[in-house]
Amino acid sequence: MDPLTAGWVGLAAIGVLVVIGVRVAYAAAAVGVIGLILMRGWNVGIGVSGVVPHAESVHYTLSVLPMFILIGYLAFYAGITKGLFDAAKAWLSHIPGGLGVGTVFSCAGFAAVSGASTASAAVFARIAIPEMLAAGYDRRLAAASVAVAGTLASLIPPSAILVIYGIIVEQSVGRLLIAGFIPGLITAAVYAGVIFFRVWLNPSLAPPVENRTTLRERVVALKGTTGVILVIGIVMGGIYLGWMTPTETGAVGAMIILFMAMQKREMTWTNFRDALSETAKLTVMIFTIIYSILIFVRFLGFSGLPESFAAWVVGLDVPRVVIFIAILAVYFVLGMFLDGIGMLMLTLPVVYPAIVKLGYDPIWFGIIIVKLVEICLVTPPVGLNCYVVNGVRPDIPLQDIFRGVWPFVVADLGVIALFYVFPEIVTFLPNAMFGKG
Amino acid sequence: MSQAPQDAAAADGALARLDRWYAHIEDYLNYVAAAVIFAMMLFVCAEAILRTAFNASIYGFLDLTELSMAAFAFLGAAYCQRLGGHIRMDLMVAQLRGRWLWGAEAVATLVALLVIGILISGTFDHFLRAWRIGDTTIDAELRTWPSKLLAPIGLSFLWLRLALNFAGYLRLVRDPYAVPVAVPPRPGEGHAAPNE
Repeated sequence: MDPLTAGWVGLAAIGVLVVIGVRVAYAAAAVGVIGLILMRGWNVGIGVSGVVPHAESVHYTLSVLPMFILIGYLAFYAGITKGLFDAAKAWLSHIPGGLGVGTVFSCAGFAAVSGASTASAAVFARIAIPEMLAAGYDRRLAAASVAVAGTLASLIPPSAILVIYGIIVEQSVGRLLIAGFIPGLITAAVYAGVIFFRVWLNPSLAPPVENRTTLRERVVALKGTTGVILVIGIVMGGIYLGWMTPTETGAVGAMIILFMAMQKREMTWTNFRDALSETAKLTVMIFTIIYSILIFVRFLGFSGLPESFAAWVVGLDVPRVVIFIAILAVYFVLGMFLDGIGMLMLTLPVVYPAIVKLGYDPIWFGIIIVKLVEICLVTPPVGLNCYVVNGVRPDIPLQDIFRGVWPFVVADLGVIALFYVFPEIVTFLPNAMFGKG
Repeated sequence: MSQAPQDAAAADGALARLDRWYAHIEDYLNYVAAAVIFAMMLFVCAEAILRTAFNASIYGFLDLTELSMAAFAFLGAAYCQRLGGHIRMDLMVAQLRGRWLWGAEAVATLVALLVIGILISGTFDHFLRAWRIGDTTIDAELRTWPSKLLAPIGLSFLWLRLALNFAGYLRLVRDPYAVPVAVPPRPGEGHAAPNE
């Protein structure tokens, strides 16, 4: 079998293994190891697959992951979510769909201290949905607002998935994190806009809420957002000014959130132990999949498939936008069946070289791909955030939540189109900070 | 009453006891990984503060941080497997019932057992080379073998967990309506969101 055919067979094999339920990490490692053994012999195969797990896991760049994950878990106990929601409620509840809009912006705030979308959805399903339902909001709108707003954590730094993208495609993690900030804010504004206009057009979706808070009370409510502002300042400022590496901003951010949680006296020994255990669990999951995929990438490298695929794509006699839309469509479909991290890991080694050859900016593409992952988090049949919201609120049927998210998904596709037409929206901040890449 | 159900009950009891006992070891290994993450947070903070405030760096900071990362890259793998934490696509498996379901799970676990077995052998060789030649990091010249040894250790504990899973699935293939023991949570169960 020639190397290229072996590459395609390997790709098909990984697809079959994943479909029959083999965990993504094991499937990738299995195909990688067997492919390497068949192509390069037993010694090289075992040698490469023996070196990769340790060698690729102990890169300093990867140390940012447990720090970002830890911030998210600790933030839950620091009372940040309630502080954010109270502040958003005080300022926004009087506008059409104000509680929903407030939920979106408090999720955006929480996203600044958390890199995990499901955590965000779970927390706000508990805090925001009861308040929205009590105010007479349509339950589809209430649940869908939380499910989609939870996805903002994937884009707004600190974002675990952007770090993973950076590692797989060997791009600057700092640049990617900074690049996620403005698209994250735009996405939040668009979600808020969707809620506002839907309620404005159909006020029965969310009856007006009387807001009797005084200006003084509103200003006092902002106190609840100090932790978030501090962490944003540290992550963005630390990276921007070149004072700290992303890992350092993560560690200092986690320390601050830990102090805040201890001050709130909600951080019991059990909570602390659980937060650390969960961090370790999520960390080892991500590391296992990273080194497994990198074994698979070694095999793909020997097969020459990525270069060949890229050359084929570039040689197609169609405008590059058509190819780009086709790639997005494939991701959109894949995302319906596969978790975001798994989807990125399995496809990027083949797709990324083609994207670069087509002349797209790698940082910009990272943001686009994370936008797609966000969409996949709320689209059926495996839109994880909808399941999470349904898990917290079993009284709201899953179908209702899935139906409620469609207007947001359409708006999200609009945002991707906007970023396509004006890529500077994504690239100008990292370029301004680090110079052109 | 025939002898078979009693035997089955005894075997199930033994597997369940072994599963619970082994779970304690996995918990402790995960605590070690968690403790290393916490220690790293403190260490990295110290470095950031010393460097920005006093323009002084901790000697060997980068080497030590990198070598210690092996602890959380490998030691919690078995714990994560027990709780069904490693990503997979549930869609097809979720449609299966009874013996088909457990059979598919057993095959998927067998693939994992084989590949992790190969990785244990490869990572152990990698450690052995470092041990024999006295490999060190470039800057602080720290020995790399203790860190490299963590890979086969963590993967071996994962392999044992997978073997327990495999035994659990085989038991369910034999008796599809038995109470599942020593297997990760079914799709949909145990995938609680963080912080729940």
